[in-house]
Amino acid sequence: MTSPALEMRDVRKSYEQGQIEALRGVDLSIATGEYVAISGPSGSGKSTLLHLLGGLDSPTTGTILFKNASLGSDIDLDTYRSRKVGFIFQAFHLMPTLRAIENVQLPMLGLSRRGMDRAARARDLLMEMGLEDRMESYPNQLSAGERQRVAIARALANEPDILLADEPTGNLDSKCSANVMQMLTGIQKRHGMTLIVVTHDDAIAHAAPRQIRIRDGKVEQ
Amino acid sequence: MINQLSFPSFVWKNLWRRRLRTLLTLCGIGMAIGAFVGLVGFSSAFEQAWLHIYTSSGTDIAVIQRTFLNTSIDESAAGKIRALPLVAQASPMIYNVMDLTPEVNALVYGWKADSYEFKSLRILSGQRFRDGKPEVILGYLLAEDLKMKPGDTLEIQGSPFKITGIYHGGSALEADALIMPLDELQQLSGLEGKVSTIDVRLRPAPPGEPPEKYLKQAQAQIEAVVPGTKAVPAAERASNNEFVRLAHASAWGTSSIALLIGILGIANTMAMSVFERTRELGILRALGWSRWQVMLLIQMEAAVLGLGGGIIGIVLGCCALRLLARLPQTASIVSSQVPYPLLAETLGIAFWAGLLAGAIPAWRGAQLSPVEALRHD
Repeated sequence: MTSPALEMRDVRKSYEQGQIEALRGVDLSIATGEYVAISGPSGSGKSTLLHLLGGLDSPTTGTILFKNASLGSDIDLDTYRSRKVGFIFQAFHLMPTLRAIENVQLPMLGLSRRGMDRAARARDLLMEMGLEDRMESYPNQLSAGERQRVAIARALANEPDILLADEPTGNLDSKCSANVMQMLTGIQKRHGMTLIVVTHDDAIAHAAPRQIRIRDGKVEQ
Repeated sequence: MINQLSFPSFVWKNLWRRRLRTLLTLCGIGMAIGAFVGLVGFSSAFEQAWLHIYTSSGTDIAVIQRTFLNTSIDESAAGKIRALPLVAQASPMIYNVMDLTPEVNALVYGWKADSYEFKSLRILSGQRFRDGKPEVILGYLLAEDLKMKPGDTLEIQGSPFKITGIYHGGSALEADALIMPLDELQQLSGLEGKVSTIDVRLRPAPPGEPPEKYLKQAQAQIEAVVPGTKAVPAAERASNNEFVRLAHASAWGTSSIALLIGILGIANTMAMSVFERTRELGILRALGWSRWQVMLLIQMEAAVLGLGGGIIGIVLGCCALRLLARLPQTASIVSSQVPYPLLAETLGIAFWAGLLAGAIPAWRGAQLSPVEALRHD
């Protein structure tokens, strides 16, 4: 059995002083290199689960482990986000003032890499995404599919162990969606990364080797 | 050539994105810094002019009343000081500001006709005044203002005074001043037997004697022989007399208010910027930027605004000083040369003003929860 990349142990997350319970005692284990789709109806707690797995937020109670190290205590959340995980958002969240190649360099600014190395890495990633002709374009000059590919390149910038995608095809047409998912699964296989995709799309969820369904803050595997 | 992204270039792009606001903020801080350069430059030039009065006449020590303000000491003390072995000359004098006409006021000095201070003056026309006579000499700028020449009569407090000469002063301040016999000024100002200060020239220090030690020794001897007085080195007196202190206080007071307004301007800009970019800051946090890096980004933006405003302000301040140096009313006091230490000080103040203004917005930006920030519209 492959060792777990991420584990959740009785994780609960509540808001507004406990009045809203987004997650109610989630136990979960995701293996290294696994591709998992998380699906469920709106408000079921999918995004909360993804935010907790990505270290964007901390659980109210319970423990989240990355390779047996507890997030927030054994491993600092900033370090975890910058070195271990890459985020892909539904709304792309590219910086409008930066060119595609500069957007990809953004996560690397915090690390002690030389400027030339950062730029070269960004160029290679954009070439891998098939965007060699769009490197100098600003986000508003790119199509939705191209923007998402820039966002994927940005997520890969710091060579993360885990790729987290929150509705990555939510703003794309079916053709672009298929391309982006093909790209993500290709990257997952080539780099042996753990890929966790939150999706509404049943086709995407069913295509994943493992599907986790969330309902009312609980996991229905 | 690959486009490299660096921290400074990211800072610049963020500022350039809202050009108008950045420009207006730069103008605001620029005006504040300009006021600082202009006012402090003016007061420094004023201090330099005072210092020049002492250095050009060779005064080493000014003897004043210990209480310092409205200094008034007995004229007879000059004789006791003159008798000291280290003292070469002692010249009692009064200075004040006087309304000569409803439009013109001027610095007025009362000197003895044989004062060594005359050494710093060049008589352009006419001659010196005589003790006990209602006579005055005018600085050339004041003579131009009053449109008077030797032989004319100037009425001062209802009494006629004959202008015996026009001089060129060793200092810019003296060019716009009037000098009359000490006894006449004492009588005019109701200070018979009293003087403002006694200027002292020392004999040359013996070979091998450190000048500072020699000066301190003379100070101690003077203070011992005339109790209740203070013997102040000329340079210190130049920077500490009531006119200069008033000029410094006004300059710093006014420019501090201007600076405060400038700082509030930057703080407002940065607070608005942080609010508008809440989601972007959340993205940066999601991409692994630490709180410290987010703070650094916002602080650098604020510091660039401060520095940029500082450079604009220096240009504005220097232009203002140049203009003042050309105006007849201020030309005698204002120098268009701004000392380099003042420029460095100004840039430092502008930089720190930016950092100070950015501190709270930066802290708030860094405290944002990534999840909350990403949800922000």
